[in-house]
Amino acid sequence: MMKRLTYLLLGVVMAACSSIDCPVQSTVATLYQVCDSTGTQMALSDTMTVVSARQDGTEATLIDGQDATLYNKGFGLKEFTLPISYKHPEDVLVFHFDNSNNKDLHVTDTVWIKKEDYPHFESVDCSAAFFHTITDVKFTRHYIDSIVIKNPSVTYDSQTVHFYLYPKSSN
Amino acid sequence: MTLRQFISTSILRAAISIVVLSASVPASAQKFFSFQKDSVPVFRGFAASFDLVGAGLMALSDNGQYEGALRINLHDEWFPIVEAGLGKANHDDEVTKIHYKTSAPYFRIGIDKNLLKDKHGPYRLYGGLRYAFTSYKVDIARQGLQDPVWQWDADFGIKDAKCSYHWLEAVVGVDAQIVGPVHLGWSVRYKRRIAHSEEGEFGNTWYVPGFGKFGDTRLGGTFNVIIDI
Repeated sequence: MMKRLTYLLLGVVMAACSSIDCPVQSTVATLYQVCDSTGTQMALSDTMTVVSARQDGTEATLIDGQDATLYNKGFGLKEFTLPISYKHPEDVLVFHFDNSNNKDLHVTDTVWIKKEDYPHFESVDCSAAFFHTITDVKFTRHYIDSIVIKNPSVTYDSQTVHFYLYPKSSN
Repeated sequence: MTLRQFISTSILRAAISIVVLSASVPASAQKFFSFQKDSVPVFRGFAASFDLVGAGLMALSDNGQYEGALRINLHDEWFPIVEAGLGKANHDDEVTKIHYKTSAPYFRIGIDKNLLKDKHGPYRLYGGLRYAFTSYKVDIARQGLQDPVWQWDADFGIKDAKCSYHWLEAVVGVDAQIVGPVHLGWSVRYKRRIAHSEEGEFGNTWYVPGFGKFGDTRLGGTFNVIIDI
């Protein structure tokens, strides 16, 4: 009996189980929250479009033939998510704010986000990813009053706010 | 104090410590750790073994291990054991294109108890525990990765990242005498990680030498050829 059991278990042990255990939320992106001057969350009253840009801040409508729009015509936004580059020390984003009802508003701000990038590995079954630490943010002040880093660590966590965006109160 | 006196004093202190410790162990535990009273001597020799499952995995797949063990037989009841092996993985994933490579030794130390009533028969049923440890380096790479938004090349690479892994294993196994000093046996193991570290905090490692694939089942097993020596 024990001898039979010994041989039988060889087959069972060889046939090992396996499972793929990748994170359900596998997007790494930044979350912006719009706040008024008192720090209370508010909704933008104008339409916002964000495109990526070249290092000098000039707008790139196409990157290698692909549309460079990161966020298209969001209205009444209280918070929004923007992608972050995998492995580039600085992302340059151009924010367009438009409102045809409000004195034909067309304002553009440029935002420079400096960061450090870290490769992140879960398993060979999961796509390669990069996590980031935001080290600095600079911006022009036409529509935006300020952008403050709330949480510098950008990971799979899609609930954490990374930036507070304060529009000028005169907008 | 001469060296000889120093050694004598150390042995005496160790002996007193063991006696005091034994006295403080509850009676039920003393009974559990005791030997059956019979004419068979306590020290019954050594057994060396080699695991065929790990070697089979190594031959048939891109990860596996060569593992051997040395076991002391105390009265056919208690079996202190040391296991050592070399675990390897060299994997290229067809879907994610990620390359993973590691190769390192690992060590386990523990003890088994023969759970059968007939301790000195040709068969044994073991229950035991192991503490295991490995220190290893991993290479993880994803060549040709492109940023999906900015379209820049973003090669993903972790090179020679130092990692360590500590885990415990609960073991159940059988051992059957086949002919003379040759036995065959298998063991099923439930593994629990107790501590780990990864240089640079890049996330998880996938294959850990001796432990297997992280995130997979916590069960593992060995099929051993055992020779009494």
